Amino acid sequence: MVRKGFVRLFLGILLLAPSTGWAIEIHGRSSTQLEWFNNYFNDQRQVEFGQYLRFSITNIDEEGKASVFGYGRINQDLNNGEGFNARLYYLYGEYRDLFGKVDIRLGRQFVNYAAGSAIIDGGQVVLKNIGPVAFSVAGGRDVIFGLDGEASKGGDLAFAVSAYLHGFRHTDLEVSWLRKWDEWDVARDVIGAAFKQYLFNSLRVYGNIRYDIVSETFTEILGGVKYFPMANLVLTGEYYQSYPTFDATSIYSVFAVDRYQEAVFRADYTINRMITVNGGYTAQWFGEGGRGHIYHVGFSLRPIDPLLVHVEYDNNQGYNGKAHGFIADVYYDLTKDLQVAGGMAYDVYKRDVMQDDGTARLYWLGGKYRLAKNMTASLRIEDNSNERYHNDLQGRFVFNYDF
Amino acid sequence: MKKCFLVFMLLALSTFVAHLAVAQKAGENGAGKETAPQSAKESHKEYADMKIDECNECHKGEGVSPNHDADWVRTHRVTAGKAGSNCNQCHDQAYCLDCHTGGGIDPDLGTRNYQRDYVPRSHRTDFLSIHPIKALDNPQSCKRCHEPSYCNECHSRFPKGSLKIKSHLMLGPNGQRYTAGVQEHATEARRNLQSCQTCHPDGDVCIQCHSSGKTNPHPRNWSRIKDNYKDRAGSRVCTKCHLPGTY
Repeated sequence: MVRKGFVRLFLGILLLAPSTGWAIEIHGRSSTQLEWFNNYFNDQRQVEFGQYLRFSITNIDEEGKASVFGYGRINQDLNNGEGFNARLYYLYGEYRDLFGKVDIRLGRQFVNYAAGSAIIDGGQVVLKNIGPVAFSVAGGRDVIFGLDGEASKGGDLAFAVSAYLHGFRHTDLEVSWLRKWDEWDVARDVIGAAFKQYLFNSLRVYGNIRYDIVSETFTEILGGVKYFPMANLVLTGEYYQSYPTFDATSIYSVFAVDRYQEAVFRADYTINRMITVNGGYTAQWFGEGGRGHIYHVGFSLRPIDPLLVHVEYDNNQGYNGKAHGFIADVYYDLTKDLQVAGGMAYDVYKRDVMQDDGTARLYWLGGKYRLAKNMTASLRIEDNSNERYHNDLQGRFVFNYDF
Repeated sequence: MKKCFLVFMLLALSTFVAHLAVAQKAGENGAGKETAPQSAKESHKEYADMKIDECNECHKGEGVSPNHDADWVRTHRVTAGKAGSNCNQCHDQAYCLDCHTGGGIDPDLGTRNYQRDYVPRSHRTDFLSIHPIKALDNPQSCKRCHEPSYCNECHSRFPKGSLKIKSHLMLGPNGQRYTAGVQEHATEARRNLQSCQTCHPDGDVCIQCHSSGKTNPHPRNWSRIKDNYKDRAGSRVCTKCHLPGTY
């Protein structure tokens, strides 16, 4: 029903275009894709056709305040009986600066607040330019994507209100409340706050807190500092804790759980236009004595303008298992219109002391060619070797057309 | 008491930050009467096509940290928040949703697929085998993109006994059962209860031992918070273990 409404709205706008004196602008991308892979569930080769469409229709009215945005995809399995699959990511109409103070969005859209985020079939209204504080309210059907389509049920709803500082150069603060319903019963009731403050031209202090009203616990607390003494150096120190909470409609919401905590230390340094390096350490506390340590280093090299090399290594050692490995990617612009690329990744992991080490390798090659100013074609082939497959060959061919 | 203190601190911090921002804005507007006020956010529309390393000098000059560095994916949650977010001046919602919900209209060659969906870089090599380790790192990280039902949709397709679950090993005819004498499951469940939900979405195996009159699974503050659940979900959860009128 809702989708039919969107289609009618969309067609109506298109019919309106020729009759108006101003120029409606329609832009977007059509992406036609062919993908082939092993279906892990039935162990069969699968070939799928995919069609993406993303568009924006702007300048619908004379003042350029009304717009429509849409994005979705359809997929059709060609050989494995999986059939048709579709996702409508968003399709909403927007009217900005009504009386200079109100922004309105209606339709399917992504909304994001300090208390949480959701894709909704509904509306969002923002009240701004009324002083230092702006307000936002959003609500509608809670859209949940499952493996093979939408998993939302009747009575799955989301509603949020927010107040936030508006128009300050160095200060951001938001306080919001998010409620979600699961088949008409209240599943989530969360108050969130987020702030960031720039200080002394070299310091960024930030945080995000989520308080679960049902369990009366701080489900997430994040506090961090970024120190940037130079334009090319950022040092990060961060503390984070979470307390797992569940929908109030789930049996798991009544169980006792442990608090998880982590502390992150990290440095990102751009040595010059050719070399960027980063490294970090994360200390983890899982509760009841469980500890973990994650080490990370990475670098990007651009020794000559058309060549980019990117490498990163992670080492995760903790009660939850061990994993270490690297990812390396290389991109080379052969000409202005042709890019070739390749990469590999290698991981060694051990999930439990009872198990042997597992290894996983991945190799890929790809190329992208610009056929015209608004057309590109790309091909990517990937081979995986791991504990389930000796060779797991998969790939995709993509043709993009911009309009 | 601790929570009251934290709520108080949150409110105090909010008031302080708001006061600081207003004072800063007033000062800047007062000092810059002959020039344009410096307090408003910079519009980034005209910079959308610039290379990121060209942004850093200006950011530093304005006292704003470079924020599209290699740490961006991990830390973008606060940057992309409602207040001060100017993401939509360069990106549309597809930019968010391609990463959060598997879309792939703008992938670079390095972006991987998991079957038809595109996946972020964190889903490395054989992610089916490695994801139990990654999922335990931070219990909240998976749910930023996936609903709990997503996990169960996948896990429920595998035959019982075919998955290697930590602390389930070697017990029962299919190697997938706890025994009462093994306490590891209590610790594991408290540390990462989400993992239980992936295979047992209704908690059917839990209530065999944790239903009314058996081992109490509730947290310490249960007597204080239990009415919150009744107010919101009615009897939907309670009657799984308790008879009506007994909870």
